[in-house]
Amino acid sequence: MKLQLTKDKTIEIKFPSGGAKSVRDITGIELFATGETECPAIRLVYKKKSWHIAASGFAKLPNGELPMRWEDTPHQPVWEMPHEFTSPHAALAVNSPMATFAQSTADAVVQDMMAGLAAQDEKSTAGDKLQPDGKRRFGIKREQQAIPAKKTAAQQENSARKPPFPGAGTPVSENGRRFVVRPMAEENFHLCASLPEFQTLWLSRLLPEGKRPTASSIQVAESALMASILLQPEFIAADGNALAIFMRPDATYLAGYKKGEPVLWRRCPGVGGALAMRDTVRNTLGLDEELVDSVLNESLIDPRPALEPFVRPILSQLSLSLDYLASKHGLKFDHAFLMGVGAGASHWSTYAEESLHLRLVSPDPFEGLELDKGVDAGDASRHLVALGAAIAGAEVSA
Amino acid sequence: MKASSFHLNLLKPSETLSSSPVRLRIMLPVGALLACVGLLVWWGVLFTQIVLTKTQAHNIEEDLAAKNSAHAEAIQKRDLARELKLQLEQLEYYKSGVRSIGEPLAKFAEIVPLRVQLKEMSITPPKPQVLLPPGLKVPLFGPTENVETQKLVIAGLTTKETPVISLMESLETGFEKLVTNERKINSFKQDNAEIDGRKLLSFEVEYTMPERRFAK
Repeated sequence: MKLQLTKDKTIEIKFPSGGAKSVRDITGIELFATGETECPAIRLVYKKKSWHIAASGFAKLPNGELPMRWEDTPHQPVWEMPHEFTSPHAALAVNSPMATFAQSTADAVVQDMMAGLAAQDEKSTAGDKLQPDGKRRFGIKREQQAIPAKKTAAQQENSARKPPFPGAGTPVSENGRRFVVRPMAEENFHLCASLPEFQTLWLSRLLPEGKRPTASSIQVAESALMASILLQPEFIAADGNALAIFMRPDATYLAGYKKGEPVLWRRCPGVGGALAMRDTVRNTLGLDEELVDSVLNESLIDPRPALEPFVRPILSQLSLSLDYLASKHGLKFDHAFLMGVGAGASHWSTYAEESLHLRLVSPDPFEGLELDKGVDAGDASRHLVALGAAIAGAEVSA
Repeated sequence: MKASSFHLNLLKPSETLSSSPVRLRIMLPVGALLACVGLLVWWGVLFTQIVLTKTQAHNIEEDLAAKNSAHAEAIQKRDLARELKLQLEQLEYYKSGVRSIGEPLAKFAEIVPLRVQLKEMSITPPKPQVLLPPGLKVPLFGPTENVETQKLVIAGLTTKETPVISLMESLETGFEKLVTNERKINSFKQDNAEIDGRKLLSFEVEYTMPERRFAK
């Protein structure tokens, strides 16, 4: 705990049992998921030498949207969680179009840190040319700059300054963004997550002090997603060696694990997520939205003509990833996890076996966890990110 | 397998807020402030008590000084009173020590025989009293001895022994206030004087007078 005595002087008091290692009761919350009007939340409690799901459900969205500009951050809502989620700690997993999560080399991370928001700002400016300066979607807080002034020598020196590579798990702020890195199992590769500074600050103050829960962890949703299968019995049985497909409403990701450490993370290029899949099925077969799930789950109608064109590119990427893991890390798999798909998972497995001789297993996301009485496990796939946020936030070791 | 490898926490430790309603960030400075205020109040009370005690001590000293003079005056007056009382007592002693010899002396003329001519009748002066004994700075006011003894000397002429004996016998009764029975004949002898051709005898008798007592 830090106490600010004066403007310049602070003292830090370190408590012996502090830190994430002592977290035994945490709520994982996913914020601003695409297509969700509520926030999936899960409360994880460690008791009787095992992790329990004490509550699972949905919380109302905070009163206000995730700010997209510095100027929006003063509108800070105060968010209170339902009673069942009032644990001491909360791990927030945020879906932000301005967030990044990727595996990178150290040099690439440093380049990203040097660019900060500026590069993203430039990209976005091209698309927002029609909008006035103050209405731009992205950008760090800046003074009124009608005419861009020439950079001074100090500014040039500052911009040329190479930021030091951050320590593992230590968040650093550079050029308007907050970065955090973790080393991967492969040498020179790191998982790097970043979020605009103002969004991080906004999220950090979302849950008020003095009321349970308060934020002890802010993660990007993809990072939490990667941690969501760590307590799966099959994952543990495979000694932490696994390949997983994570389907999100707007994207599909591939993740590789080696002895429980991250070794691969990539987004399938040119492929959407669950929403795109449902749209494809619906449009191809001419169905209503309500019928999509039943068509994908039942065998009366073969969804193959609609589903296969969507799945094939993903399986191609999966094949590349399998080759990469086999050649680079000596990992061979006879099955892979398929998480977050929901309806139609069996068809995915059929296609994968046909083309790759690989089974796709879709375990219940809550497997490996004890369910307390009254916990609804019906909508588990929607809680994948929240679960991963809680597992990572508690720094669970299996 | 450790989930910490996947925990990419963007929250800085300094931004972590406590969920406890008791906020150490606030309670510690408030507690420290209250402790300081408590100390200040304690010191204030202590200082006030010291000032009060000093004032009381000063007042007591002043009071004591005033009472010392009054006490000295009282002691002086008490000594004076005691002195006066002693003087009164002495006077009482003197009063009780008054020797009433007027009446026996008046009667004395009646018992003097015809053949006796008294030439002298004197009372020896008392033994001088030492009113300033050695070591005493202030002279004593009263007698140093409670008992004073005097002698009555009766001297005269007579023709023969018998009238003198008769006088002495007469003095034995009724003159207790003037003389006691203790007497001493200092002289009884032939005198040169004559009367009607007869030689006269002179005599001197010394009587011890009753003790004069200076007592209540």
